[in-house]
Amino acid sequence: MYSKLKSNFQRIWGRATPQVRRPLYIGLGVGFVLAVLVVLGLTNTESFFAMPSSFGDQATSQAIWGLKPSNLLMVLPLGAFLVVLARSFIGLKAFGLFTPMLVALAFLQIGPIMGPIVLGSSVLVGMIVAPALLKLRMTRVGFLGVLISLVVLVLVALQLILDTQLQVDAFPVVVCALVVERWWRQWEKDGAVEAAWLAFNTFMISIVIQFVMVSHFALMLIEASPLLMPAATAGAIAILGRYRGLRVTEIWRFAPIWLERRRAARQVHDPDQLEFDLRPPTPEEAQERAPPLEGIWVINSPRDLEPFARRQVPQPRPEPEPAIPNSEAQFEPRIGTSGTAPDRPKKHNAWLIKSAEDV
Amino acid sequence: MLSLFRRPRPRQSAIDMIRPIEMNPIEEILGINMRNALIAKYNPRSAIERARDKVAAKVALEAEGIACTGTVAVIDDNRSLMQFKPTRDMPDAWAIKPARGSQGDGILLAVRREGDVWYKGSGTPLTETDVMNHIQKVVDGGFSGDSASEDAALIEPLIIADPGLADLVPEGLPDLRVICLHDEPLMAMLRLPTNESDGKANLHQRAIGAGVSLETGRITRALVKGEPITHHPDTGIRLVGFQVPGWDRVLELASRCGPAIGLGYSGSDIVLDKNDGPLIIEVNAHPGIEIQNICQLGLKAQMAAVGEDFR
Repeated sequence: MYSKLKSNFQRIWGRATPQVRRPLYIGLGVGFVLAVLVVLGLTNTESFFAMPSSFGDQATSQAIWGLKPSNLLMVLPLGAFLVVLARSFIGLKAFGLFTPMLVALAFLQIGPIMGPIVLGSSVLVGMIVAPALLKLRMTRVGFLGVLISLVVLVLVALQLILDTQLQVDAFPVVVCALVVERWWRQWEKDGAVEAAWLAFNTFMISIVIQFVMVSHFALMLIEASPLLMPAATAGAIAILGRYRGLRVTEIWRFAPIWLERRRAARQVHDPDQLEFDLRPPTPEEAQERAPPLEGIWVINSPRDLEPFARRQVPQPRPEPEPAIPNSEAQFEPRIGTSGTAPDRPKKHNAWLIKSAEDV
Repeated sequence: MLSLFRRPRPRQSAIDMIRPIEMNPIEEILGINMRNALIAKYNPRSAIERARDKVAAKVALEAEGIACTGTVAVIDDNRSLMQFKPTRDMPDAWAIKPARGSQGDGILLAVRREGDVWYKGSGTPLTETDVMNHIQKVVDGGFSGDSASEDAALIEPLIIADPGLADLVPEGLPDLRVICLHDEPLMAMLRLPTNESDGKANLHQRAIGAGVSLETGRITRALVKGEPITHHPDTGIRLVGFQVPGWDRVLELASRCGPAIGLGYSGSDIVLDKNDGPLIIEVNAHPGIEIQNICQLGLKAQMAAVGEDFR
C-alpha cells in the first residue's frame, strides 16, 4: 500500500506542470528553512518545564534562551516578517493582523510551556464568562476591561495552584485579553468551527515565530549588530510585500479548476496523450474515449461485409432543450406544436395488419 | 531572489503574438494578493466608502439613471426615527437594511400585512414595536461592524423575483453577481438559495453558485459547496442550460455600475424583479474570488483578454 501511494505521488509529480511546480518549490524551500530555524530554536531551549520562580532575578527569556529582555524588541521585526510570510505567501488566516507576533512575544516572556497554559486557561475562562458579559450589553471597551481583570485573575489563580511566581508584566495580560476578545468575536460571526480553526492557526504561527525568534541564527544576528536585524527584515518584508502571485493555500483552493480541466482533456482521445498514459486502455475506457458513432460505418461481423449488408449507424437524437420555466410562455403563440414535435415517433400511413381480425 | 517572485515574462514568439489570451493554468487565476493590488490600483478610497454605504451608492447610481431597488424611507438619526410611524409609512411587504451592513446582517423582511401586524417569510409576526426596535438597533450601528457607531436604516419595498428565476428555488431571492473591470463584464454567476441556506443566497451557507456564460446568459455549471450538480437539490429543476431572462439588460446594467460609483474593479449584485426587470441591489468594492471556482475560469485571463497589463 505504501509503495502504491509512493508511485501515485510520483505519477502526479511527473505530470505537474512547471507552473505548478514553481510555487510549490518556493513553498517547500520556505518551509524547510522555517523548520530548520524552529529546530535551532528548540535546541536552544534550556529547559521546558522549569518554573519561573527557580530563575531568581533573571527574566524568563534570559534564563531559558539567553535572550536579554532588552533584546526582546530586536526580535520583533523577525516576528513581523514571519506574520507577513504566513499571511501573504502561505495564506494562513489568524486572529488580527499581528496578533500571532504579540502572542509569541508573550510566550517568550512567560515561558515555552507556561505561556500556552496561561493563554489556554484565559481563553477557557473567557469562553465561560463571555456569554454572561454579552448579556449585560457592554461596550467593546468595557468588555475588554473586564477581560483584562479576568486574565489577571487567572494568572493569580495559576500562581496559587502551581505555587510559583510568574514573572508577567502588563504586556502578556493585554495580549491574552485581546486574544479572548478576538476568539469571541469570531465565534459569534462564523461559528465555533471557524473560530477554533483560526485559534489553532494563530497558536501554531505563534509557536513557530517564538522558536524562530530564539534560534541561534536570530540571536547571532542580534549579537552581531543591533542594526542588522531590523534592516535585514525590513528589506525582506519589502520584497515579500510585493508578492502578487497565488498564495500556497490558494493553489489548493483553485486546484479543482485545473484538475477538472485536465480530466476533461484526458477524456478526449488524443494520440499525444500517450506519453502521459503508457498503459493500454481497457475496452471500457477505449469505448469511453472513442468518438461518437455519428454517420460512421460499423463492421461487427463478417456478415456486415456481404453486399448491401452495411448499415449506417443512426444519428443520435439531439438532447431535448431543457424545460425552461417561463411564465410569459403562456401568452406566446405556439407555432408548430401540433404534429411536428421531434419526440413523437413517426407513423406511416399504411394499414397495419397485425392479426387475422384486421383483414 | 527577486526573480523568484516576479512573474516570468511571456516568451515573445509568433504564437504568443497571435494568441495573447492563452495563459498557463496557474497564471490565469486571480489570487487574493493580486486582487488587493488591483483594488488599490483602480478603486479610490472615496469610491470604496461610497460603495460601502448603500444609501450613498444608491444616490450615485440613480444620478446615472441606473435602475436600483426602490426606496421607501431612509432613517439616519433618532429625530427622523421619532417621526417615523411604520403603520402609516410602510407598505405591505418591505425590507429593512442597514446602510453599512455586510453579509446580509441585520436585514429584516416582511412579506405580508394583516391589520397592523406584518409577517416574516417564516410566518413570525412583527408588530409595530418590533419594527421600531429593529430600526433603532440599525440606526445605533448594531449591524455595521465595529468601525461605525452610527448607521442609517434603508427601507425598501420587497422585491418579487422574476417568475422564471423564482420557479428554480424553493424560497428566497436568487441574485446575480457580475464582476466588471471598468465597464467590461468579466464573469457572472447566479446564486440560488436552497432549503439548507435558509432562503439566503450566500455561498457560505450552502446556497448554489451557478456560473453563467457571458455570451449567452445560460448556466454552464452549478456547484453546492464545491460539488458539481446539474439539478436544483430541492426543486429538482434542471439548472445547467437555464437561460437567465433579460441577460443583455443585466450585462448593460452591470457594466455601468462601477463607473457610476467610481470603482474600476467592481462586483455588482443584481436581482431580477417581476415588474421592473434587472435592478441593482448593491455594488461591491471588494468582490470575492470564489466565482472562479464556480465558473471554472480564471479572472486574470479574462482581464488580460480585455487589455489589463499585469506586468
